Amino acid sequence: MDIDILCKVVDNFGDIGVVYRLARCLAEREDPPRLRLVVDNLAAFAAMDGAVDPAAAVQDVHGWELFSWAAGDTRGEAGEAVRSAFRARRPRLVLECFACGRPDWLEDILFGPEAEPSLIVDVEHLTAEPYAADLHRMPSLTRSSLARKALFLPGFSPGTGGLLMDRAFAAALERAREEDGRRALRRRLLGLLGSAGTGPGAAEEGFWVCVFSYERDYSRIVADLEAFGGDRPILALVAAGKSQACFRRAWEARGSPFPASFLPFLPQEDWDAALAASDFSIVRGEDSWSRAALAGRPFLWQAYPQEGAHQLIKVEAFLALLKPFFGAEDFAPLAAAYRAFNERGKDSPDERGLESIGPILASRGSLEGGFRDFSRSLSAPGDLAANLMTFLREML
Amino acid sequence: MVVTSDLRTGSVFKSGNDALFVQRILGQKTGRSGMVTRFRVRNIVTGQTSDIALDAGEKFEEVDLDIHQMKLSFVDGDTFVFMDQTSYEQYELTRDDLGDNTGYMSPDDDFELEITFYDGKPVGVTLPILVERTITYCEPGVKGDTSGKTFKPATLDTGIEVNVPLFCEIGTKIKLDTRDGTFAERVK
Repeated sequence: MDIDILCKVVDNFGDIGVVYRLARCLAEREDPPRLRLVVDNLAAFAAMDGAVDPAAAVQDVHGWELFSWAAGDTRGEAGEAVRSAFRARRPRLVLECFACGRPDWLEDILFGPEAEPSLIVDVEHLTAEPYAADLHRMPSLTRSSLARKALFLPGFSPGTGGLLMDRAFAAALERAREEDGRRALRRRLLGLLGSAGTGPGAAEEGFWVCVFSYERDYSRIVADLEAFGGDRPILALVAAGKSQACFRRAWEARGSPFPASFLPFLPQEDWDAALAASDFSIVRGEDSWSRAALAGRPFLWQAYPQEGAHQLIKVEAFLALLKPFFGAEDFAPLAAAYRAFNERGKDSPDERGLESIGPILASRGSLEGGFRDFSRSLSAPGDLAANLMTFLREML
Repeated sequence: MVVTSDLRTGSVFKSGNDALFVQRILGQKTGRSGMVTRFRVRNIVTGQTSDIALDAGEKFEEVDLDIHQMKLSFVDGDTFVFMDQTSYEQYELTRDDLGDNTGYMSPDDDFELEITFYDGKPVGVTLPILVERTITYCEPGVKGDTSGKTFKPATLDTGIEVNVPLFCEIGTKIKLDTRDGTFAERVK
């Protein structure tokens, strides 16, 4: 089976992160499809995987053919190389990730006079909202009867397409479950980070916190971590990106009260390992959200801020999924922290953050069971890559 | 070309050789990547209806249609009879042809409608974006609540039920958004 995956990077690394993981998951299957990726921001991809050359219009990466989205629309050798590759092997199965649209040169191939039958699948964003099950596998349309289209929705619940589970992340989770394996995972991460700003006292033991959110004021969270760290060693692993400077500012303002490692941009597998090895995580967006959910440890999620505070609807939907796994006493402070963490109209370092994670940290023991049970429930819809392959075969 | 976001109840667009009439907007979801809208569409030629979901950026061929200004003359069971205000010719459309639009119009209305013709046959109607309707039943109004943020169900003179703000009462005239059937404002 041949599959073409299209990805347009809207901002940051979330879109390409999911697409990269999707490609890895498909490639890891027993009968892997032949993959071609068309990406509009190869620099973002290269940050995630060093094998990618951000300047090459056509390249081979891990056995996948990788094409520059924009190059295909240019005159000259590079553009011709892209177009001729797709004219020679016409797209039959196209995954249009996050409704990213299609480059003009591909439109010509899919809808032009020499068009051949194709199936386009819009692989949508992850959401906990009930509509994921309603829209999953739903037929869609294009302007041509030769190009059929359908929707595929990832999700946490049965009736959705499920979540991606690649081998490396599954292995990291497996190691993190055992004390020795977890320590080894942490040792490897500390070695990898080297002098990435780790303060004194960072160790394999202790309470590890991963931090990766949108821009926000971190004063309250740093104060809560400081208080929590009074009787145990803490290490904060602060991801590169928008939230790093925000966290650093609040952390320095309080006199650097616990060790913190301000991470460089990590390859996907190393970031996954950091999430798997941590005791508590603050995550954002989609890919890290799904990893944190699968890891089965307490975490706080910041949804992508949307106009009209629409993110709160998404947060409430996720809380509704979490609720059955917790007792009322544990769920109330958890839900309060999620709501407070997401009640903001914009993505800005000046947005005051009054949310407290103190109650969550205090009840982490009982919360762990709930998050672990929730992560186990995520196997119900099945693995996304397997579900997607089944769907594609049915549609063909 | 038309894009998904241009489509509303009564629109006609082309997918392959099929001319499809939008009978109903079933729902919308928003996300980072934009809107996905679920539609119930009817194939104008075969009459077959189906539910589909379209993302916001998908483009479609426009269908060559004739548009005639008409008024709803009367309703006979499931048949809606419209009259061309120039030629005085009458044309019939069924409740199925009109989809959700049946709930937004009445023979008592003053406004004219656009009746869409395909291959010489009437296939659907396009309404003004806002139409006036009268509430015939709802629970008593709540005085003082003028926020318009809390809603209650109300039956309109066309028989459909919509959500209206708490301050509305029986006899209140409202403006209804025909794109999605939501309350727009109270007629002053």
